[in-house]
Amino acid sequence: MKILFLFILIFHVSYVNADEIYNLIKIPNLEVYKLKNDNNIRYLNTKGNFKIGTNNNITCDKVSINNLNQKFPLIERNLNRYNSNFLKLIRLKYIVLCENLFISEINTGGIPDNKNRTLILDINFNQKYFERMIHHEIFHMIQNTHDEYFDEDKFSSFNKTSFNYAECSTCSDRLNLDLYEKTNGFLTEYSKSIPSEDMAEIFSFLMTDKETIKVKINSDKILNNKVNFIKLNIAKIDENIL
Amino acid sequence: MIKTIKASKSEKILFIFLTTLSIFVFTFFFLLKNKCLFVEKNNLSKLNFKKPNNIAVMNVECGNVIIELYPDISPKAVERFKILIGQKMYDGSAFYKVSENTFVQAGDIEYGNINNLDYSKIGSGKSGLGLLKSELSNDFKFTEGSVGFARATEFDTEDSEFFITLKEIPIYQGEFTPIGKVVYGLDILTKIKTGNKAIYVLRPDYIKTLRMFNTN
Repeated sequence: MKILFLFILIFHVSYVNADEIYNLIKIPNLEVYKLKNDNNIRYLNTKGNFKIGTNNNITCDKVSINNLNQKFPLIERNLNRYNSNFLKLIRLKYIVLCENLFISEINTGGIPDNKNRTLILDINFNQKYFERMIHHEIFHMIQNTHDEYFDEDKFSSFNKTSFNYAECSTCSDRLNLDLYEKTNGFLTEYSKSIPSEDMAEIFSFLMTDKETIKVKINSDKILNNKVNFIKLNIAKIDENIL
Repeated sequence: MIKTIKASKSEKILFIFLTTLSIFVFTFFFLLKNKCLFVEKNNLSKLNFKKPNNIAVMNVECGNVIIELYPDISPKAVERFKILIGQKMYDGSAFYKVSENTFVQAGDIEYGNINNLDYSKIGSGKSGLGLLKSELSNDFKFTEGSVGFARATEFDTEDSEFFITLKEIPIYQGEFTPIGKVVYGLDILTKIKTGNKAIYVLRPDYIKTLRMFNTN
């Protein structure tokens, strides 16, 4: 019985398209899209659908090459803003480009995986905020590798004492990514979900729309403190990013 | 009185058919089944090397694979490889991870020996000599026949496992510690049993012996 169980386990776990890229970053059905880049980042795309993670809870589909070719310049332009040394520090080397990315049946724009130095991006995710989403996900990689600089309790203390974040980013209905007219400490509704999303939203706006942030913090003390917190701590890693 | 019965035309045809079939079956089972049949053998006594101290000879089912080691690129990794060869630790080591026409991997000393395969732990075995720091080279290209030290997801986890590429794999450049290149016998490695689409191979092929050339 034990042998039978072991046999089933081995085949269940290992029956994937075992190729050289899977061997490296543990995602099947990928191929190289662009390998040589100034900041050493490597772009891969899905040549077939894949399922990974615990109980295969992360899924993403094969990309249409025409769609990718159309969107790639924008993706590359945004990622070129990070130098190779910074990317090394945040453990990011591989960008996996796919369509219809889901985690536990929830559509998501990106999934960072510092362990495998990989960021999976859904090239079809929310075209209105796509660029911002890229930097948002990169912030998660920054925080994962430098949690000593981005202490969530310290960051949360900038909020009014009456405010409470949700238990997790997906267990609230605070998902809207539109910029608030009146910020009151938060740039978007999604900022109110959990502290790390709040920080990621600030970082993504700082990367894509610095001028708007400048205007917003003039009349929002809480937001001003949060923005300074992010700027100060990002500068500890690389003072040229923001 | 018993009459001699002559075989009819159709019986003759049947006889010829059965004879041909027997020859075909014999050929298939005893000749074509031999995967090493058309593989070129490397006669060690006829080979000369500029740096024989850096030549390793891996004997597998279909013959000898000759590997030139590159201590100038990765001195610590090559030193470790030579130590393990010297201790005959690779003898019997299974090619448990094989991707068809892409790479073969062996060298799990603890759980990957053909006499003591542990499928639940294979790939996580230790040599007992400790982990090595990765010696990455941005100049070394993982062309066909490149030999690299395998590692866990993290860098600086090299120990004893190694892989050999069966095609050029540009994405491995700067990712793995190179230890050498196959100079003869790459076609022998293409005959190593694969796991079809599974990453692990059941009843795998294995290294019969791995020795330094100058000790052969």
